[in-house]
Amino acid sequence: MKQYYDFKVEKIKELSQNEINFRKKNLELFYESGFPNKKDEDWKFSDLNYILSNNFDNIVNNDYLSKEENLKLINDFEHNYISLSNGRLVSSDFSHEEKNKISIENFNYKDEKNLDKKNSLNFLNHALALGGFILEISKNYKLKKPLVIYNNFSNPLKETIINYKNSFIINENSELNLINYIDNFSKENFMVNTIENIIMEKNSSLNNILINNSKCNGYFYKYIKSDLKKNSNLQNYLISSGLKFNKLDIEINLNEENSKSSVFSALNLVKQEHQEIKTRINHNAAKCYSYQKVKNVLNNHSKGVYQGKIFVKNIAQKTDAYQLSRALILDDNAEFDAKPELEIYADDVKCSHGSTSGSIDLDSIHYLKSRGINEKDAFQMIINGFLCEILEKLSEGKLKNFLIEKLERQINGY
Amino acid sequence: MLNIKNLEVTIDNKHILKGLNLDIKHGEVHVIMGPNGSGKSTLANVLSGKNGYETKGDIKYNGESLSKLSTEERAQKGIFLAFQYPLEIPGVNTNIFLKTSLNSVRKANGKKELDTLAFLKLIKEKATELGIDEKFLSRQLNVGFSGGEKKKNEILQMKLLQPKLSILDETDSGLDIDALRIVADGVNTFKNKDNAFLIITHYQRLLDYIRPDFVHVLSNGKIIKTGNADLGVQLEKTGYSNLV
Repeated sequence: MKQYYDFKVEKIKELSQNEINFRKKNLELFYESGFPNKKDEDWKFSDLNYILSNNFDNIVNNDYLSKEENLKLINDFEHNYISLSNGRLVSSDFSHEEKNKISIENFNYKDEKNLDKKNSLNFLNHALALGGFILEISKNYKLKKPLVIYNNFSNPLKETIINYKNSFIINENSELNLINYIDNFSKENFMVNTIENIIMEKNSSLNNILINNSKCNGYFYKYIKSDLKKNSNLQNYLISSGLKFNKLDIEINLNEENSKSSVFSALNLVKQEHQEIKTRINHNAAKCYSYQKVKNVLNNHSKGVYQGKIFVKNIAQKTDAYQLSRALILDDNAEFDAKPELEIYADDVKCSHGSTSGSIDLDSIHYLKSRGINEKDAFQMIINGFLCEILEKLSEGKLKNFLIEKLERQINGY
Repeated sequence: MLNIKNLEVTIDNKHILKGLNLDIKHGEVHVIMGPNGSGKSTLANVLSGKNGYETKGDIKYNGESLSKLSTEERAQKGIFLAFQYPLEIPGVNTNIFLKTSLNSVRKANGKKELDTLAFLKLIKEKATELGIDEKFLSRQLNVGFSGGEKKKNEILQMKLLQPKLSILDETDSGLDIDALRIVADGVNTFKNKDNAFLIITHYQRLLDYIRPDFVHVLSNGKIIKTGNADLGVQLEKTGYSNLV
């Protein structure tokens, strides 16, 4: 296979010698295995090495001076924001909140922890990350308005990789609604490799919403690691469409009693798009709850993958864990792969999974048509309903309406 | 309004309707009764334009051949089927469905579409008439509804769309007495000289509330007897075996 990438730590400006050494070591680790391929069980259905080598001649890393490029703020609801340009923190605004309750700092490599020894993309991130931030919410503080992170990518991007990493520390009794908003103003093919680290202290609560606003020729990989303490509650909502490739690799550690976590995803795939949701929910303590509902609509030659694992440690009695994947396959050439896994070492647990895939129920279409709704609108209505259902548990309001509208726009092809 | 001549229907090589004739005029209420498997629901489905049926014969609706019209065109022109088993559509909000439906029909008839405010006012009025709680309208379409709630929702749709020909396929099945009365009231208050009903039922008890002009007995794919409301009373006593 041709060599289709060339990464150099030297391209990154203003590094201390220690940091150069740290990064070089990680780059070596990456080069030992390269981009993951299907021989790796975690990448069985998404051969990234094959996909990238077919779509790139030579991926390189670069270091740009980031500048804010006409940030388009969302008008639909009031919010705080953080703006990132090609992964670098450009600006932030918390004017809706009390002072000194929120701290935001640029990422420092000294805070680095090796997250997953087996994952070459994490090594690559450690080696090449240009930026990112650490956000910390003070104890007993519930943000009044949601926080939107604008992830903007702008030229020159052709055949480049962008690496960045963000951390969130949600302290005791704090609450945050977080929207990771991906927007792109480039038509070039590029790659984005992100690490997100979430620490949730006792009784904290986080809605972590990921949504992309435009289609693009980007190849995305995001590793999200979350650690939950007692009574904390993490809800993940993943809404994505129109990306060439996207893999969301989610690890959730329920480390203390009564912590709760959910993953809801709605993916609408067209053309040759390929998206994967991979989860590993570790029930490491008793009386924790996890719930996953993954929904895919597949058109044309698209491919959707769900690898969902629930791990229950021997001490994690009274675990309540559930996962469900449902796919609507609208074209004979589309493919959906689901691999549910339950690994259980405790004996008093409630764990189950379900997986269905099929086409649209024509009786339902007939029902809608019999009420005067034309066929195209009837299909649209059923697909919208199928995907929007994942937002059911989100509380009513402007944010929810915004997400429904974005999701419907994704389904309509932007 | 509706003229069916010598209708034959086959599905999966099974010959279900074998030469059915039926004329329905404006202002009339027709009831079709008959044993299980006689073809009652097939007739309802064919009239609604459901796919999968092979048909022979002729169905005219206000002089127009029905076979040329799609399901949605039939609905837009005023044919309404209250389903025996209304479908559950997850994720689709009942109000949004009702608004889309009403506006599709209005648009096809050259009427101005209703905005959300005007729609909500109208639907609230109709729902109150049927004793339907407003909260019920913000739920997912038929998802988790009881049998009775689903049937009431069908009647609500009928009253909202104001069809010319309403076909009720066993709408009374599975209803308690109170729900049955509400459904029957829904029909009686909507009935006028310009519209018509074709009511499919198993039970004479519906006829205690709705007074039909004609009662037909459908058996083995044909109408074998037609009479007035008294025929329904007689059938309740003697069953179908004397006729079949």
